[in-house]
Amino acid sequence: MNPEDAHENPGDFVPSAVAAHQASLQRYATRLLGGDTDRARDVVQDTFVKLMAQPRADVEGHLAEWLFTVCRHRALDVLRKEGRMKRFSEGEAERVTAAEPRPGRALEASETHAALLRLIGCLPVNQQEVIRLKFQNGFSYKEISRITEHSVTNVGFLIHTAVQRLKAEFAAQQP
Amino acid sequence: MNTHDSHETIFPADPRITAYAFGELEGDELALIEAAVQADPALQAAVAELHGFADTLSLTLLREPLPPVDAQPLPEQPDLPIAAGKGIGGILTKLSSFYYLAGGLAAAGFAVLIAVRTESDRSAKPAHEAPAIMELVDGPAANAVAAKKTEAPTTTVGGKDAGLATVHFDAKLAKQASESSAARERRDADYLSVQKVVETDKVNASNRLIEVERPVAPAMAPPPPMPVQASSGSGLGAGKAGGTARAVRSQVVADGFLMAPSAQPSFSDTPAYEPGSESYDHPADNSYHSVEAEPLSTFSIDVDTASYANVRRFLTGGRLPPRDAVRIEELVNYFPYRYAPPAMTAKNPVPFAAHLEVASAPWAPAHRLVRIGIKGREFTTATRPAANLVFLLDVSGSMNSANKLPLVKESLRLLVERLRPDDHVAIVTYAGSSGLALPPTLASSKSEILAALDNLNASGSTNGAMGIRLAYDIAKAGFVTGGINRVILCTDGDFNVGVTNREELVDLITEKAKSRVFLSVFGFGMGNLKDATLESLADKGNGAYGYIDTRREAEKVFVEQAEGTLATIAKDVKIQVEFNPARVQAYRLIGYENRMLKKEDFNNDAVDAGEIGAGHTVTALYEIVPVGVDDDEAVRPAVDALKYQKTEPVAPKPKANDSPELLTVKIRYKAPEGDVSAKQEFPLIDTGMKFEKASGEFRFASAVAAWGMLLRDSPHKGSATFDQVLNWAEDGLGDDDGGYRAEFIQLVRRSAELK
Repeated sequence: MNPEDAHENPGDFVPSAVAAHQASLQRYATRLLGGDTDRARDVVQDTFVKLMAQPRADVEGHLAEWLFTVCRHRALDVLRKEGRMKRFSEGEAERVTAAEPRPGRALEASETHAALLRLIGCLPVNQQEVIRLKFQNGFSYKEISRITEHSVTNVGFLIHTAVQRLKAEFAAQQP
Repeated sequence: MNTHDSHETIFPADPRITAYAFGELEGDELALIEAAVQADPALQAAVAELHGFADTLSLTLLREPLPPVDAQPLPEQPDLPIAAGKGIGGILTKLSSFYYLAGGLAAAGFAVLIAVRTESDRSAKPAHEAPAIMELVDGPAANAVAAKKTEAPTTTVGGKDAGLATVHFDAKLAKQASESSAARERRDADYLSVQKVVETDKVNASNRLIEVERPVAPAMAPPPPMPVQASSGSGLGAGKAGGTARAVRSQVVADGFLMAPSAQPSFSDTPAYEPGSESYDHPADNSYHSVEAEPLSTFSIDVDTASYANVRRFLTGGRLPPRDAVRIEELVNYFPYRYAPPAMTAKNPVPFAAHLEVASAPWAPAHRLVRIGIKGREFTTATRPAANLVFLLDVSGSMNSANKLPLVKESLRLLVERLRPDDHVAIVTYAGSSGLALPPTLASSKSEILAALDNLNASGSTNGAMGIRLAYDIAKAGFVTGGINRVILCTDGDFNVGVTNREELVDLITEKAKSRVFLSVFGFGMGNLKDATLESLADKGNGAYGYIDTRREAEKVFVEQAEGTLATIAKDVKIQVEFNPARVQAYRLIGYENRMLKKEDFNNDAVDAGEIGAGHTVTALYEIVPVGVDDDEAVRPAVDALKYQKTEPVAPKPKANDSPELLTVKIRYKAPEGDVSAKQEFPLIDTGMKFEKASGEFRFASAVAAWGMLLRDSPHKGSATFDQVLNWAEDGLGDDDGGYRAEFIQLVRRSAELK
């Protein structure tokens, strides 16, 4: 085996990608698949398998976006194949345990978070998805547009609508 | 969008306001909405509200528990063309909760396999899967098995070359799984070079697996092996020759391979140092350039001082620093020098003054040493502009030790005490979740700020990217025109959630730096400091990088030099030196290896360079081989002239000039909020001064540079010894305001003992 081959080994960057993104992809896929963690695991695994075949240069600089895009396609494939699109549209019941308590504020904060998560769970599915990609995964409108195949304007509109609604409902719930 | 219609009424509920608040607008649309927001308090309120709500959303969503993933195997055998021919060695393959690293394989049969048991070892699966990996290794399985057996606490390391790399895992470090990309790239490089070396050294194919024994106590630890001096060029294959000399001393070597350099210290169970996964870039020392071929030398200034504090940490911990942790320009620039500030005439306010000096180079008396000293304009608390500061604080679990988060809090308390009542402070934290711990607050409400600082505690993993975005959003929302707008990032640099790739983080910062918000990066703690990542973040973010290891250091940065830390007086400061070929044969810049620019970059305002803060000094040293010095290694041609063939010179030699000048220093810089650069020029004439007659500042700076060369084991260190460094430094002690130079002398003594 010659060193050049090894250097260009397409999979070399995969382990760190797995370490960095596996959990957030898993969460994304689980949601897309209506809470089916086993299937989500398969989807994420497929995603990384695809990544291994990818020349590094093709994904460098937008690795997260690439992973989410592929993961989404895989998840939708699974749903399509199994005719389970309906489950996808049901909002997930949210139960949140305060993962990182901050003394003094923990109780209040976790209540706030739980309330807001419930509201997010009531949004239309496409709005939930873009809201999560934006605020949970930190993607820009443009990146979300490429991941979800909505236009940038559409992404902006979905986020705007969702944020306005959440803001109003959230404010109404606050004492 | 009709951009002509500047009277278009925009309502707070306009989707573009939402997009604007989230930083998603560009071009004309951005200009239009920005103008509308500036003009309309109602829109400003809407934007602020959206910012706040976005924070709440981020905070909430980031707290959604991540699913456990450690039970998920990657595909056992990818059904892809990837592995077969190309070799999967070097890929870290995760099988259930085992990490196997198979690397370095050649026909001769060199195999390294490292198995690490992670904390959550729940699966019984891997036992039968391990052979699948073995098959991927070309070498004898016996070697691989042998390696696998050596589990923690003994550390098994694989081959190594001139580069800086190590294959090091520790069972107690689940964190290793999420190593930084810098470390990963280094490992890739290492893998490559291992192969190369193995191919050149097939004779000793056995015994390539070395166990590094844990030292009993830090004081008894052998000095860590220093990475070998990289030879010029690719560095591949240079390890064998270069490695041997040190290898004997460091005792972690077999067959000429230098093992486990201290970028990831091997002695990972040694309590005083914490399990190490520090990573550094490894540039080679700047070499000599012939004036005839390259009359111009161009570089970006650097006022970072992190390397000095980091080196000090190693030395006080009883170890020599790894070679690549030593950046000479940062050592030299750590010390305040008494250069006169620029004269402040109202007519022609220049942000800095330059002070040039030349004398003989103490470590090579035939050579001349040129010092370029730059002093920035000074501010006082009263005269500096108002500040809009966002503290971006890493509160992840890795910050949970005494010299990290508690020191961060203490440092910022010091800074808050120095602020003016009209300054603003906000605090953004980031861990697994990112959040606003303190909305923008006037510094007059000091107790509120201090209480928010006190309330922070460390937990969770580190999602740097989210925090960076939020911090910049808040800084932009409170932007003070003409003032100090700065994000102050305090972290150990261990970004392990979200965007962890160094390039991606750097891209993010580069993007955010366009907002004219400056960034200061402060590294804290030890053990998993990602030095290279932090430096490049500061570099791209128009900012400085400092390393805080003690309260003393915090006082220097946040109290004594608070104005310089906060107020930038010029940005993109570049230096270009033109050498006179009638006086100079060859030159080399000492340090600044990662700050070199192309000669065209000097006049190109699009090329980013270093910033200079109020009152800061910047010092650069050139070692020069004057005309008339022959038979000097620095000017010896790579190839002798041919005896039997006449070679015409490609270009006629430039006519000798009779200018008495040795060189001219040109400095380009931009105002902190400007886009167009200005230039200043300073010629230098060599009066033939001896080193002994040079100024104390000159001699002290030379001593620091020589010390750096010794620590780096630079090929250019000449006759310098630690004893000489001590003498030069003591001569140049001066009045030593702050006692920094006295401390330096202690460190030199320490390093001499350890060497």
